[in-house]
Amino acid sequence: MAWVLQITMALYTVGLLHSLFGFYQKRKLFINLALILVVAGFASHTAFLILLGIERRHVPITNLPESLCFFAWSLTLTFIVAYFRYKINVLGAFVLPLVSSLMILSELAWEENHAIPPILKSNWVYFHGSVAFLAYAAFFLTFISGVLYLIQEKELKSKKFRFFYFRLPSLQVCDELLRRSLFAGFVLMSITIITGAFWAQQAWGHFWSWDPKQTTSLITWAIYLILVLYRLSSSWRGRRAAYISIVGFVSALFTFSMSWFRSLHAYL
Amino acid sequence: MRAPPQGAAGVCFGDAMRLAVETASGLVRSQLRRLKSSSGNSILNLLLVGLNHRTAGLETRELASFDESGLPEALRRLAGRPGVEEVIIFSTCNRVELLARVEKKPEGLETLESFLSETSSLTGEHLSRKLYRYHDDQAIRHVFRVASSLDSMILGEPQILGQLKSFYSIAVEAGTTGTYLNGLLQAAFHAAKRVRSETSIGDYSVSVSSAAVDLARKILGELQKAAILIVGAGKMGELAVRHLAGAGAKLIRVANRSPAAAHDLAQKFRGEAVPFDNLMKWISLSDVVLTSTGSPEILIARPMAEEVMMQRKNEPIVFIDISVPRNVDPRVGTIDNVFYYNVDDLGAVVDANLQERRKEAVLAEKIVEQEVESFCARLRSLDRSPVVAQLQRRIEEICQAELERYLKRSGPRSEKELQELEWMVSRIAGKIAHPLITQMKSLSHDSLHDEAYLDTIKRIFKLQKNSET
Repeated sequence: MAWVLQITMALYTVGLLHSLFGFYQKRKLFINLALILVVAGFASHTAFLILLGIERRHVPITNLPESLCFFAWSLTLTFIVAYFRYKINVLGAFVLPLVSSLMILSELAWEENHAIPPILKSNWVYFHGSVAFLAYAAFFLTFISGVLYLIQEKELKSKKFRFFYFRLPSLQVCDELLRRSLFAGFVLMSITIITGAFWAQQAWGHFWSWDPKQTTSLITWAIYLILVLYRLSSSWRGRRAAYISIVGFVSALFTFSMSWFRSLHAYL
Repeated sequence: MRAPPQGAAGVCFGDAMRLAVETASGLVRSQLRRLKSSSGNSILNLLLVGLNHRTAGLETRELASFDESGLPEALRRLAGRPGVEEVIIFSTCNRVELLARVEKKPEGLETLESFLSETSSLTGEHLSRKLYRYHDDQAIRHVFRVASSLDSMILGEPQILGQLKSFYSIAVEAGTTGTYLNGLLQAAFHAAKRVRSETSIGDYSVSVSSAAVDLARKILGELQKAAILIVGAGKMGELAVRHLAGAGAKLIRVANRSPAAAHDLAQKFRGEAVPFDNLMKWISLSDVVLTSTGSPEILIARPMAEEVMMQRKNEPIVFIDISVPRNVDPRVGTIDNVFYYNVDDLGAVVDANLQERRKEAVLAEKIVEQEVESFCARLRSLDRSPVVAQLQRRIEEICQAELERYLKRSGPRSEKELQELEWMVSRIAGKIAHPLITQMKSLSHDSLHDEAYLDTIKRIFKLQKNSET
């Protein structure tokens, strides 16, 4: 089964190189090749996760290496969906480095014969965890589109038409991707928090206990809520929305890292 | 040659070998001597003679250019001259070129130059200084570069390919092209197509009015749903709108102090003329506002733009001010989601675009080089297969002749001995010829060496054009 993982990593790495080269040289051919490689990598990645799940008899999100691997899978999924929807050629150059890094980290931290604590053997956990990673992936896309927006806006406002002006998509596309991924991420995160609360009730006896993980995720959720509301009212678009998307992502990273602090949510 | 000993077939081995070797080496030695003194004549015999915007001024180009209606006649006249086998004439406002396949190059060159001098009424000397002359590989490369718009005045401009195609079809109709030039032009079109699709050399607009479209696209995405407002009915404004409409913009409104002019301009683009006095309302309904009036004052000031953005709920808006003096306060550009460009900014886009084109041209040159090489290889393989066949035939002939001579001297042989002798002689000759033939078949890349090699083989084995037919 390890070879499935190796194939996945090889396909992702070669795909990453193609998309970086395609981005730098503005070669559509390499972008297309990168996409084929990444889709193939995604297929073998999916196969690997299924095989791993069957072998270990749980959804593979119960320790760090499994979660990194699953998060990489979620990111690739959102990347493929976003690419086919918006045809942003440069997206791969910005998303795939993270995918490859996560895969390498996962491989380095890999544990054979991983036994999970009984508390994690619950459908709530599986659902809560998977949705959480999809939410993170969506917010990463929001973050990336915010960054792309800011770079392109700077080129356009400064009237210096350089490297990024020619390579990055239009502001409208960045803004649209930001909006869509924001809404998707927000819905997914809301589901994550609700399912998390139900699981907490089962495992710890309380729906909400102001655990560090719960607190930070509520803050992150609030930041995104503000962004969603202002976005819906249309008064925050463009630059401001892009800045908030970056703040939100930093907060999301903080939330993710909370598992290592004194938290009941110490699994991840 | 020593008299071959008589005896059994086994004894014949040494003789047969010597026979084959001596025949081959004698041929090589005598032909090598002859080769040194004669000049190389390539297989292609392609010539391109012409002048372009770099070598000749407009006046000279005008004089040298061919009238399109007179072109078939000119082609036939040139093709009728001795030594000219195939010919195509290109004549655009930036270049006049004769591309021909000739029998002999020095004479062919003279024919082409004197023809150009006759038709242009330019004296030979005056013309001669402005001409470039390309042979074979160079000529192929030049045609490929022209087709790919790498030799154009405006690098990467797309019209040249269509022009070449029409000049080619004129020559085809006039019946002055043949296998070689047909193949050459098809390959040139293929190269140009590759350059178009594999590089982004044509993606960046290089005129001020199309730069406005570029900018609007980078901000608003596709322009199909964008609302355009033109303030003023000037010529420059009209040109810019033409480009915007070409990019798919459908909703076009015109505001002008004189309603009649607004109406006229609006009609050209199936647009709508709107009253000038309620400008702010129309601006806030538009995604692109193009100002090109003769008015010496600022029409759109910063407070007005702020008000507009309130009404638009921060929907992005692009102001393009191509009027001088300016009609839009440059400070509107500091408002969020407002993008402001004046004539100088559009010029900066054009400069940046040209620079990108030059970068893309580096890649395009590589593609052209690849295509030139693969075309040359194809030409040579066309030219080569008969050479291989000829060589084999020639060796067989030699073997047969020598065998007969030997048999005549040594008297009759039994059927079995005869067969063995024949087999042996042909085996030895085959072994000697084998490396030559494999070498020939593997030739494909290094053009100059290949030609020289083929030429040498042809000369050594006396394979001349007569046997090609």
